[in-house]
Amino acid sequence: MNRGYMGKILMVDLSRGEISEEVIPDNVYENYLSGLGLGAYILFNRIPAGADPLGPDNILGFLTGLLTGTGSFFSGRWMVAGKSPLTGCWGDANCGGNLSPAIKRCGYDGIFFKGISEKPVYLYVDSGRAELRDASSLWGKDAVETEETLLLEGGKGARVACIGQAGENRSLIAGICNDKGRLAARSGLGAVMGSKRLKALVVNGKRRIQPFNRHEIKRLSQSCNRWVQFQPPLFSGPALSRVGTLMRLLPTQMAQDGLLYKFFLKKWGTVSMNQVSIEIGDSPIKNWKGTNEDFGPGRSLTVNPDAITGREFVKYHCYGCPLGCGGKCSLPGQKGGETHKPEYETVLALGGLCMNEDADSIFHMNEMLNRAGMDTISAGGTVAFALECYEKGILTKDDTGGLELTWGNAPAILALVEKMIRREGIGDVLADGTKVAARRIGKGSEAFAMHVGGQEPAMHDGRNDPGFNVHYAVEATPGRHTIGAQLYYEMFQLWKEVKGIPRAKPLYSKDRKYLADHEKAVMAAACSKYMNVANGAGLCMFGLLMGVTRTPLFAWLNAATGWRKTPGQYLDIGARIQTLKQAFNIKHGVDPRSIRVSDRMLGKPALPAGANKGRTTDLEKVRGNYWDQFGWDPETGVPDPEALERLGIKT
Amino acid sequence: MAYRITTECNGCTACVRLCPTGAIAGERKALHAVNPSLCIECGACGRVCPQDAVQDAFGIACRRIPKLSLWPKPVVDAKICVSCRICIEGCPASCLAGRMDGGEKHEIAFLAEPKACISCGFCEADCPVEAIRLVVPEQPAVEVKQS
Ligand code: SF4
Ligand code: SF4
Ligand code: SF4
Repeated sequence: MNRGYMGKILMVDLSRGEISEEVIPDNVYENYLSGLGLGAYILFNRIPAGADPLGPDNILGFLTGLLTGTGSFFSGRWMVAGKSPLTGCWGDANCGGNLSPAIKRCGYDGIFFKGISEKPVYLYVDSGRAELRDASSLWGKDAVETEETLLLEGGKGARVACIGQAGENRSLIAGICNDKGRLAARSGLGAVMGSKRLKALVVNGKRRIQPFNRHEIKRLSQSCNRWVQFQPPLFSGPALSRVGTLMRLLPTQMAQDGLLYKFFLKKWGTVSMNQVSIEIGDSPIKNWKGTNEDFGPGRSLTVNPDAITGREFVKYHCYGCPLGCGGKCSLPGQKGGETHKPEYETVLALGGLCMNEDADSIFHMNEMLNRAGMDTISAGGTVAFALECYEKGILTKDDTGGLELTWGNAPAILALVEKMIRREGIGDVLADGTKVAARRIGKGSEAFAMHVGGQEPAMHDGRNDPGFNVHYAVEATPGRHTIGAQLYYEMFQLWKEVKGIPRAKPLYSKDRKYLADHEKAVMAAACSKYMNVANGAGLCMFGLLMGVTRTPLFAWLNAATGWRKTPGQYLDIGARIQTLKQAFNIKHGVDPRSIRVSDRMLGKPALPAGANKGRTTDLEKVRGNYWDQFGWDPETGVPDPEALERLGIKT
Repeated sequence: MAYRITTECNGCTACVRLCPTGAIAGERKALHAVNPSLCIECGACGRVCPQDAVQDAFGIACRRIPKLSLWPKPVVDAKICVSCRICIEGCPASCLAGRMDGGEKHEIAFLAEPKACISCGFCEADCPVEAIRLVVPEQPAVEVKQS
């Protein structure tokens, strides 16, 4: 029966060198979808309690989406899951590019690795065979070199995922790379891959992915595409920052329609937000202690959207995407050199967060980190931490190997990033993120380490949109920014399809955002559920931001599988996946109450000036209510056994 | 569902060389067989078989297209293509690619390796916005003798 998914997974035991295929029953897909839902199902059941994330018992899964390859747009995300060495919690990350359909076309919805190989290896899979091959000669190479070599070995149509030096060195902020510099960056899963001595995955599948009703999927895709292609002429990049300034000055907030954001994304990509985000207070400045006033439009002009896309020579589309927010850019001062267009997160983490206005240095660090396979968000967050330690005299020139780590000192910041990649001197201290670095450095530096449960948060300030703080704290992957926020809730427009979900007010006083009322928990839970469905389907969040009626996730799923589920039933699946991930954390000894958002990020003490002046988040209350939304204990966040049994989860 | 080779097969191996998934096995001059778990029903074997020995998934005999130059090839309408790469990543022969077309920075799909194309039509079937059509390439003009 054609159901859009392949119905099989591949399990690779690296310790024994054994590879086996497993058939997954249909009811697993009906309960958990594919993608991260399937990943949670496998990993929850098979990683033993308390497993060392960098030990042989951890399992690393590469997953494709249920909708990938069915003809639905935005469905090219591949996902990776495992126990995170960075947080000790459930870990996942996702990335675009062209890997996902290639995995699926090998005939598998997921490829899982357990054990540890004796020597460096890579896995080669095509439509009919899978084998482990020696990767000794690749060990030590960066991700781009590795991919180039393996593309030649893998044959026409091969796609590659691999780690760079950061993953090999088991840096806890390492990610997994594909398409020459795109990273599934978060949760430190590159270190897990490194710990297994698995250098790469090469897939060259030629199978056909068969949805239930391709005709209906196409019809839905065409109506979605009309929204994607609808694009009015826009003003210049620097002028965009004025929109941000205006939004900041208004005492009221307008519910935002994601179509507007789509206009920006299509023209510039995520960098469209570089200046706007600073202006409205979304972007943290100076290790979260500064404000938009410290890094005003004059200073951020160097990274205005037009300045970044001025270097872009071709747009980059992930598989299945009609929008194409990505791009390839030339590297400043390097003939023939190129890099993926740095994302908003990268620009701000290595820019405003470090008070660095040197755009050239950001392009170079972007390329260095992509090649090394290190998360730019975490790297930027850790550099900012080091800069503040230096300012406070906790780190001195002796500690830094002579580097003068003053705010905005671009050459020093670049040199520090290089040391982190090589684990050299101070770089070795910092290569595992802020939490570990603060433990190593001591002297009260923990106060400057901005993290949630061990992971550096993204460049979205919960003092501007408290929804970010909520999701940083409640998700099974602490510090995650791609699940929910009040802003995302408004853009998803779920109330148009799901009964009983509150409609966003078109215009409201900004103070309302900070009320820790019951509705905030309902909104947050809805975002989590929805994104679990999206991560089961393999959809890109930027597509979803256009709203559920324009990017018809539920209808696509029904057309792909032949199911007749209502949007409400899909959200129930999302809730089941969320509960399973929470149960994963409980199984591994994580107390949900122990996941702390750094005080400064919560507005304790509140900022004395700037866009977020005086703002604080009351996290505790919303968190309890959020847990309650899933039927977990509102005091402890633990799903009670009955709730698990109702969902068919065996513990 | 898969294609099947009947006893008409004389083991010429033409299909083996064309099958993109390596689903066909057989010794030279011996009866060949399709591995149903690998067959993607692209039909290339049926189009090439000189013995008309191939049946499609419904048991209907495939028709050979004798001259390779008559095999239909994809043509992309650049004005409709939205650069989604669905055709490129779905092509079993990996013969499509993207290239810049006109002033836009978005890459449009095109047939980069016409010789490798097996005329399966997957790209045409999969393109969500119907930007691809398979057409028989224009044949080189045949010289007509003047009387
Ligand atoms: S919107 Fe951007 S990130 Fe998302 S699928 Fe398209 S190109 Fe990739
Ligand atoms: S018809 Fe299309 S999908 Fe099939 S081989 Fe040719 S280009 Fe590839
Ligand atoms: S599938 Fe269609 S729209 Fe997408 S790249 Fe190919 S021709 Fe263009």
